[in-house]
Amino acid sequence: MQTSVSSGMTQTQSTKRRGRSAGLQSREALAGYAFILPALLTLTIFLILPILASAVLIFMEYDILSPAKWVGLANLKRLVSDNRMLLIYRNTLVFVVGATFLNNIGGLMLAMGVNRAMPGVLRYLLRTAIFFPVLTTTASLALVWQFLLTQDRGVINYLLSQIGVDPVPWLSSSTWALRSVILYDVWKSLGFLMVLYLAGLQGIPESLYEAARIDGANRWQLTRYVTLPLITPTAFFAIVISLIGAGQVFDNAFVLTGGGPGDASRLIVLYIYEVGFKRFEMGYAAALSLTLFAILIALTMLQFVMARRWVHYE
Amino acid sequence: MATVSERRITTQRSRPGRALAGFAGEAVIWAFLIIMALIEFAPISWMFSTSLRDPSRSFDLPPDFWPTAFNIGNYWTVITSPDIDFLLFFWNSLKIALIVTVAQLITCSMAAFAFARLRFRGRDAFFFVFLASMMVPWTVIMVPTFIVIRNLGLSNTHWALILPALTSAFGVFLLRQQFLTLPAELMDAAKIDGASYFRIYWQVMLPLVGPGLSALGIFTFLGSWNNFLGPLLYLRDWDKFTFPIAIIQLEGYMGMGNRAHVLAGIMISIFPVLLFFLFAQRFVIQGIAMTGLKG
Repeated sequence: MQTSVSSGMTQTQSTKRRGRSAGLQSREALAGYAFILPALLTLTIFLILPILASAVLIFMEYDILSPAKWVGLANLKRLVSDNRMLLIYRNTLVFVVGATFLNNIGGLMLAMGVNRAMPGVLRYLLRTAIFFPVLTTTASLALVWQFLLTQDRGVINYLLSQIGVDPVPWLSSSTWALRSVILYDVWKSLGFLMVLYLAGLQGIPESLYEAARIDGANRWQLTRYVTLPLITPTAFFAIVISLIGAGQVFDNAFVLTGGGPGDASRLIVLYIYEVGFKRFEMGYAAALSLTLFAILIALTMLQFVMARRWVHYE
Repeated sequence: MATVSERRITTQRSRPGRALAGFAGEAVIWAFLIIMALIEFAPISWMFSTSLRDPSRSFDLPPDFWPTAFNIGNYWTVITSPDIDFLLFFWNSLKIALIVTVAQLITCSMAAFAFARLRFRGRDAFFFVFLASMMVPWTVIMVPTFIVIRNLGLSNTHWALILPALTSAFGVFLLRQQFLTLPAELMDAAKIDGASYFRIYWQVMLPLVGPGLSALGIFTFLGSWNNFLGPLLYLRDWDKFTFPIAIIQLEGYMGMGNRAHVLAGIMISIFPVLLFFLFAQRFVIQGIAMTGLKG
């Protein structure tokens, strides 16, 4: 990337050396501004403006209908004493860690499985079946899963009863609700992670496997000393986007459990939604959003620091 | 299939005990693959077969994972229902997704072209703004964005969903990487021929970043088609609803008794996407691979 930027620069410098007039240079600049204008304008109004508004909003009390009122640090102070927020962040942490772990381990295992020698048709069928849920609407399929997970006469509990397992209160018990939300998320995103890891696996040069085989490596050693180290850059990317995505999950829990029972499966974005758009405490909702932003940034930075220990670049 | 792998194992390892262990490992891997494929696909096939059953039989156990009845009536009921204009939801979803997708392909590729191939004062600073804005997730600014949109008088209109999605910093980044891989000589040659910057962008460069455009187009369309939180925040009138939000409302409206109708509604809403995928699977997979490797 860096080299391409500089090659672009030397290219324009060389046109200057060829004796192009200054008029052409400024016309290039003008074209440059014109080309970025639509994107920049959209970004300014719907991203930069809201970010700036957010910085003011956290010091305000604003319910949309009456004019905003300056309340100083009240919203931030309230964060410190918000026990409900702590519980919800605990849920969010369990969800993020659980979903990221299962999605990435499962995605990698499926990718390694699908990547082995097999007839093309079979590979196509497996890949298509596993990838299908990724394409569907999260909110609508959560409704389907709600039907499947019903405690009485639900399909899952019926199937479990066939192998002698007692009915599980998937959505109605506070121990199971959050797990159900995690399981639904894994069902929904596993195919995406599989395809991501599959691309990573196919990027590993075959020559490395051949070299290791000549050295007498068995299949386990090939996996351990060739595949796993060389998949770490893909894994790093996959884990970072899984964490950021999981931290912001809304549709899953909103439709599947509504955050309940009580707050047992409420995740942070559901809480922000409730505070901002049900109770219309926009100022406090903005303050909550800020905590989420800080946590996501911190998590990502932590990932980059830890990456030095386990990510191998060729 | 198993025989091929089996043969490979036995040629690798001479001792019969080891071969047996290898065969067991092989069986475990295949069982895992097949069970996972079934788990991933079964809910969708259950939904499909139940949507084809008579509504009174949609609670039947044992469940059918394969269609046993072909009762198209549920689909007909949902489409022609006088209370719920399902075709309108379809049109709303399609309209918004198409506008947003076309707009992003244009705005992102234009900005990406400028960032990759044109030289102007402040270019790197502007690009940094785009990069930095990728760090701010949409959910984090949904509250202030709502206030901005409300003050623009766009609440409860489709503009509230279209305007913020006219561009994406991620799309600019993705396409810039693509433009950077094209040889610089292309640009020089076109300039010497006297082509305008717009012509260079439109006729010379754009046709060469097809894979990037198709990846961005697919993700943008899917994201818009499946968007739930946006419409939930902004749309209040039935006649403005998009599919995902209409279906959740439909469930409350029709009640649990009409499960078959709700499932038929969901089938209708995801069918276009599934159909598209069956034909364009290669592009979708390539797209994910591209973002993964470039990220």
